[in-house]
Amino acid sequence: MTRFPVIRKTLGRCLIIGIVLLFLFIALFPLFWIFIGSLHPTADLLQARVTFPPAHITLDHYQTLFHAQYGVKLFVRYIKNSLMVGLSVACLTIAIAGFGAYGLSRYRFWGSETMSRIMLFVYVFPQSLILVPIYVLLAHFRLIDSHFGLIITHTALVAPFCTWLLRSFFEAIPRELEEAAAVEGANWLQILIHVLLPLASPGVVTAGIYALVVSWGEYMFAVNLLMSGAKWTVPAGLATYMTEQAIEWGQLLAGTVLTAVPILIIFLPFAKYFLRGFLEGALK
Amino acid sequence: MTRAGVNEYVGLFNYQKVLSSSLFYQAVVNSLRWTGLSLAIQLSVPLILALALNQRFWGNSLARVLMLVPWIMPTVVVAIMLRWLMEPNVGLINHLLLALSIIREPIDFLGRTQSAFLTLVCANSWQFLPFGTLLILAGLQTIPRDVLEAAWVDGAGVWQRFRYIIFPLLGPVIGFVFFLAFVWNFNTLGLIWLTTQGGPLNTTLTLPVLIYRRAFRGFAMGEAAAMGSLASVALMIVGVFYFKYLWKRPT
Repeated sequence: MTRFPVIRKTLGRCLIIGIVLLFLFIALFPLFWIFIGSLHPTADLLQARVTFPPAHITLDHYQTLFHAQYGVKLFVRYIKNSLMVGLSVACLTIAIAGFGAYGLSRYRFWGSETMSRIMLFVYVFPQSLILVPIYVLLAHFRLIDSHFGLIITHTALVAPFCTWLLRSFFEAIPRELEEAAAVEGANWLQILIHVLLPLASPGVVTAGIYALVVSWGEYMFAVNLLMSGAKWTVPAGLATYMTEQAIEWGQLLAGTVLTAVPILIIFLPFAKYFLRGFLEGALK
Repeated sequence: MTRAGVNEYVGLFNYQKVLSSSLFYQAVVNSLRWTGLSLAIQLSVPLILALALNQRFWGNSLARVLMLVPWIMPTVVVAIMLRWLMEPNVGLINHLLLALSIIREPIDFLGRTQSAFLTLVCANSWQFLPFGTLLILAGLQTIPRDVLEAAWVDGAGVWQRFRYIIFPLLGPVIGFVFFLAFVWNFNTLGLIWLTTQGGPLNTTLTLPVLIYRRAFRGFAMGEAAAMGSLASVALMIVGVFYFKYLWKRPT
């Protein structure tokens, strides 16, 4: 083989592309199949006769989801709630993580390095353990069953990781720029907002998207902190379709598609930005 | 440290209760198996994928973006996907296996004690793979290309370049993925709760599921808190060990 380097190189390339394609198939096919399944009539679903392209295409399941107003099933409402909570979490996280990361990257104080590590260390505590104290804490402030309570909880979940991510972006920015701005008479807040945040924008976008993704998918807190169905986020609402006696597969699959699609629509345009931000910031 | 309902000091009563229940030990064993098996998958597979994605080929950046999709999927989506595809009567996997005559009767993957655990580990890893791959890819990109080229010029083969250059330089990153994956897997709750809730016959009952079940179904807050504290101490030891001995900040 070594005598034919061209053949060897081509074989290597085929192997690499083969590996990537296999992984992409495993990653994407199940989701694609859910989408195809959601277009099938119930009769076909119950007999496992899901085919591509579908023999009979129907949008009935989506229509039921959009128009159903009975009980607690208000799917459009869930999506609105989730968007509202997710975007608030993203903004709040950027604000908090921005200040935190700025402090950690620019000021050397006793314990600052330990504190950066603690940003990751806090994730060792199991969610099932912190659920109860957070519930009790929020109950004290009468924030159970309120979106604000969920927003600050989600922010608390993602802010440490985002702080840690943003810190490396701030550290990459030369101090001379800040000094120049200070000479011009800018104070630290102006420097942060007008100099550092724009220069660290890949990091800011990455942190915001990360916060949004986590908040959009978070289930355990959403279902335990929100009581009334009208306030539920998508995961909490969708899960109720799963716990029924006889599962309505069509509606469940359509609901799954409607849960996955909004976050894909938000994520994909930023994906390249996110990837670059993550690849640059995650390990520094 | 209180008994349910009354705020009375009970000393180590809850710890005593937890440590004398066989369910707790079963959950600890399950958690260790769950974490170990998941780590084995989630450290090896992303390494292969990251090495492949680190090569130049047409469509590389699109592949990187598409690869991320499982990771941004909500846990509920993964749970529903799993339940639908693995369902004995309407699921695709059973349908295919029957059509190919690999099995004679449908298998209830999530309902059988022999298969539920492995099925869930796979689904859980499916969701983590993009994140692990991303981190390892970030690590691979810090390895200067000219070092690899120099090795290639000196006649080092693919395996030798991996063994003597990439792998040692990747050490800190793999340690980092190990730590995050360890914590993430040990604490997995949503996926298990939304599919098997710890069943069948407690085979998928990991520590977080048991804690959640005791706190929110059994309302035994004291016991749940005792188990949670024990789990936290164990994880803190792992965390301290990692940050003290393995943590290296690449400069």
